[in-house]
Amino acid sequence: MSDLWQRCLARLEGELGNDMHTWLSPLQAREETAGLRLFAPNAYTVDTVREQYLEHIRTVLEHLAGKPVAVVLEVGSARPAQATVAATAALDAPPAHGAARMPTTAEDDPFESNLDPAYTFETFVEGKPNQLGKAAAMQVAQAPGTAYNPLLLYGGTGLGKTHLMHAAGNLIAATRPGARVLYLRSEQFVGAMIEALRSKSMDAFKRRFREVDALLIDDIQFFAGKNTTQEEFFHTFNTLFEGKQQIILTCDRYPREVENLEARLKSRLGWGLSVAIEPPDFETRAAILLAKAQRKGMALPEDVALLLARRIRSNVRDLEGALNTLAARANFFGKPITLAFAEETLRDLLSVHQLAVTVPNIQKTVADYFQVRLSDLLSKRRVRSLARPRQLAMALSKELTEHSLPEIGEAFGGRDHTTVLHACRTIRALCEKDARMHQDWDKLIRILTG
Amino acid sequence: MTSHARQIPLALRWPPRQRFAQFRVGPGNAAALAAARALADSQRAPWTLLSGPAGSGKTHLLMAACQDAQVRGHRARYASVARIAASPTALRALDGADLLALDDLDALAGSDVAEHALFDLYNRMRAEGAALLLAARAPLPVLPLALPDLRSRLGACVQVPIAPLDEAARRALVRDWAMERGLALEPAVLDWLFARAARDLSSLHTLFERIDHTALARQRGITIPLLRELLAGSDHSA
Repeated sequence: MSDLWQRCLARLEGELGNDMHTWLSPLQAREETAGLRLFAPNAYTVDTVREQYLEHIRTVLEHLAGKPVAVVLEVGSARPAQATVAATAALDAPPAHGAARMPTTAEDDPFESNLDPAYTFETFVEGKPNQLGKAAAMQVAQAPGTAYNPLLLYGGTGLGKTHLMHAAGNLIAATRPGARVLYLRSEQFVGAMIEALRSKSMDAFKRRFREVDALLIDDIQFFAGKNTTQEEFFHTFNTLFEGKQQIILTCDRYPREVENLEARLKSRLGWGLSVAIEPPDFETRAAILLAKAQRKGMALPEDVALLLARRIRSNVRDLEGALNTLAARANFFGKPITLAFAEETLRDLLSVHQLAVTVPNIQKTVADYFQVRLSDLLSKRRVRSLARPRQLAMALSKELTEHSLPEIGEAFGGRDHTTVLHACRTIRALCEKDARMHQDWDKLIRILTG
Repeated sequence: MTSHARQIPLALRWPPRQRFAQFRVGPGNAAALAAARALADSQRAPWTLLSGPAGSGKTHLLMAACQDAQVRGHRARYASVARIAASPTALRALDGADLLALDDLDALAGSDVAEHALFDLYNRMRAEGAALLLAARAPLPVLPLALPDLRSRLGACVQVPIAPLDEAARRALVRDWAMERGLALEPAVLDWLFARAARDLSSLHTLFERIDHTALARQRGITIPLLRELLAGSDHSA
């Protein structure tokens, strides 16, 4: 590393403070006879440094050297070979590095596998809410291009859509050596297209996506409002579909409900099979926790798994976060994970999870959901349009808070605890035979705990 | 080894006061320190979100983790989101680090574009096998994020609350600073200082530096009249 550059940084540090660590510290420098060559990790850094700091750098360098110093700024590394060796030697997990990186230009080999090998059907925890999705993904992987095309998995974030998508891709790649399976997040598709337009290499771009055996695109709701991308994706879609090449997509909701998505694209998305991935139920959450713990080699007692599964309802990522937090703290304090330890260490995490779920909060959410006035919901009026939402709010209060029946009755305008009990039973029975009620119940739980 | 020797001046660039060795451990921040150390040590350590009020030592730990990672030969980068939330594309510039420490996440909460940029960055870092250490004042469940995709991803991180040192620990720390400089601080002087000074350590340290500087310039010990004069002076200048 250049001595001149070091002195320059030392001078700039006092002036720029923490910004220096964001923009200038990552630069590598090489002193050349002509001046100083600075290497930045990417083009964005080059742009930012050029716009905001380069002039200042030149001034400081001139001051230090006693004469003007030519500065060249480019993307790259000062000692590529050595840097790689040093970095690899220091890392615990060298193979993951770079291997999973998405090629950003058409020149890179597009079929370097970018599937996450950890996401397989074996590691996917199956439960009632995701059974159908798993079955469909497996069928597609066994008969790509013919079973269902496209396969669209939709549902909220953190429910396992990406996992299933990678699992299908991995299975295709494993059973058909040489199969070209390309996975991208929708932003990468958008980014690659913008880059292709900029560098006038649209032909290479089209080829790259149309020559695959299976194209997997995650989170297509982010195509909304991006008309040029949609147009290009539409054509890619048609080419793949006609060529019987498999398309697997995920979306955070039913595609027809995505605003600013072209009608003709929406209609094509419906040609194959669309499967909803529902939030995991209590049993599935517990099973997921136990499976994840086992994979991490972590001793997770069942009562602790049940505690977490009961308290954290939102999605699989939050379950994973809770599990990681618990493992980190147990490791740190050198204590085994017991129910008491879990209660204690996760109190912060859980209390904030439950922060939002109070009886008044439930009442307001339910009133908004059914578009009735809060005062009417809490009143004694017994018309059906109020009675059902009121019963639902009571049952949700029992389900989501630790309050007793009399306390809940009190919060609903001083009703008897038997009224609350009756409401809980009625709603439970209705959920079993009335799909619509079941849907309302699930949606409200997600709104309240999401 | 020469390659190792060359790494050291690089790492020296990180703020010398914000190193792990300078971090004062207390019951409210020990877990946060352990998590930051783990990430500096290995990219395979779980990604961590530190949450705690201003002055609880978040920036210190982020800087220290970067410094420590760099000494170990990793490429480390620190960025405050507060400084770049105004141009979210700047988040794209943060690629290519083995450890990225992102500070002040609160600053992007509620900005659709910035949240999306962080969501994208998160995914890219995952794919690259890099490590991420995040810090925000608010714990995740009350961080007013608009993008559920981002919230759920941050939810997968280890959540570590970090609390400021209590007053006894902060007093001990100031006494240590004074000792390092060969100064004696009377308990009465400390009482006076703590009744008036800000609670967070970085402003406390800035103040202490000024006190020390003034005492040195005037060739006199640290007394209440000197402090009174100094704090009154700072009121005028502010």
